[in-house]
Amino acid sequence: MAKEKIVVNFRFRDKLNEVPGGKHHNYCYQCSACVAACPAARFSKEFNPRIILLKALLGMEEELTGEDSLIWLCTNCYSCYERCPQDVRPIEVIIALKNMAVQKQTAPANLVKLSENIGNTGVSVMVTSSVDRKRKELGLPDLKKIPIEELKKII
Amino acid sequence: MPLKYPQMELAIRNTMPNLGVELVDIDDFTCCPDPIYFKARDKMKWLTIAARNLAVAEETGLDLITMCSGCISTLKEAQYLLAEDSALMDEVNKRLKKINREYKGKVEVKHAVVMIRDDLGMDTVKKSVKRSLEGINVGIHYGCHMLKPSQIMQVDDADYPSILDDFVAAIGATPIEHFEKLLCCGKGCMDDELPLEMTEAILSSIEESGADCMGLICPTCFSSFDLGQLMISRKKGKSFTIPVIYIFQLLGLAQGLTAEEVGLHTHRVKVDNVLDKIKKGG
Repeated sequence: MAKEKIVVNFRFRDKLNEVPGGKHHNYCYQCSACVAACPAARFSKEFNPRIILLKALLGMEEELTGEDSLIWLCTNCYSCYERCPQDVRPIEVIIALKNMAVQKQTAPANLVKLSENIGNTGVSVMVTSSVDRKRKELGLPDLKKIPIEELKKII
Repeated sequence: MPLKYPQMELAIRNTMPNLGVELVDIDDFTCCPDPIYFKARDKMKWLTIAARNLAVAEETGLDLITMCSGCISTLKEAQYLLAEDSALMDEVNKRLKKINREYKGKVEVKHAVVMIRDDLGMDTVKKSVKRSLEGINVGIHYGCHMLKPSQIMQVDDADYPSILDDFVAAIGATPIEHFEKLLCCGKGCMDDELPLEMTEAILSSIEESGADCMGLICPTCFSSFDLGQLMISRKKGKSFTIPVIYIFQLLGLAQGLTAEEVGLHTHRVKVDNVLDKIKKGG
């Protein structure tokens, strides 16, 4: 039986290298220390940070940044960063892949919803009258004015 | 935190003066921003906003303390990334120049509980206690972001942390060991099932330990466990009644403040068992 040919998509890896945190994927030597520490891998049959890094090394763009990508199951706990002996910072590679998925508009709608407020208002949660009321009831000072115009100039 | 969990802000404002700390609210801050969703959307913008907040804090000449694990995670990582990569620092400062600001990398940023341990000492906490919480067993949940990555956070040993245990002991309560003390609450995982399974594992672990309540430091974890108990009961049919208490609310109770003065009346899971036990003197 002929061996299956392995094709590495270096063009995707080059793109990943340009995203903040993406470059460290090159250091991965597939030791699995991240897997042993990963809570998502413990509770999910599908999620495995070593496999994600392997796919990054092979440049499997669609699997990583397509609509069915498993990267969104990462719990953002930083255990892989803590464990990794190679300074891969696996979570930061996953975040770089998430940034790429957002660019491709394949990120979950929920992510877009949960993150859009900051760019529009400067805070992650909508300031509503119920927030003001709750603060008043607790005797807390009024919320300070958010410098949203200044923020918009830098992002 | 001032928007979603104002009761925690109240606890900080009412307990810190008893430790001799004067809090100064800084103008012109925005959200840090959060280290999960906004960072996943655009890390460069996330870093730029964080650097702007750091620059604003730097201009005051004061140390910056946060009361949230997410905020400290963002601000410390931003500081770390900008310190390790001068090209990144230049790029961010080019952006900040548009608003006449500059991040110089000088401001000291700490989580409130770290500031207490390192600058005041746990003895200061002990001395502020008017009503010891002796006999109250607290199942601590450390949460991820205040500790990891330890290379950046520099708070404690991420595998054998003691900072919250020491804090709880300083107010007279007993930190209770439990199996899932260091498990992530799962909140950052974008799935319908996994976060609930993780939260349930931790709650079961606390329940088995016989703790009177859960003590934690992170507002995002708080929502996983407080509101989360209702969600687990609705979706998985397993019901828990474990009071979830922010560590500074516990401090407030020990300093003689009422439950209302630390905002405990706003919690979904009632904390009456803990209050009754305190009233009876443990």
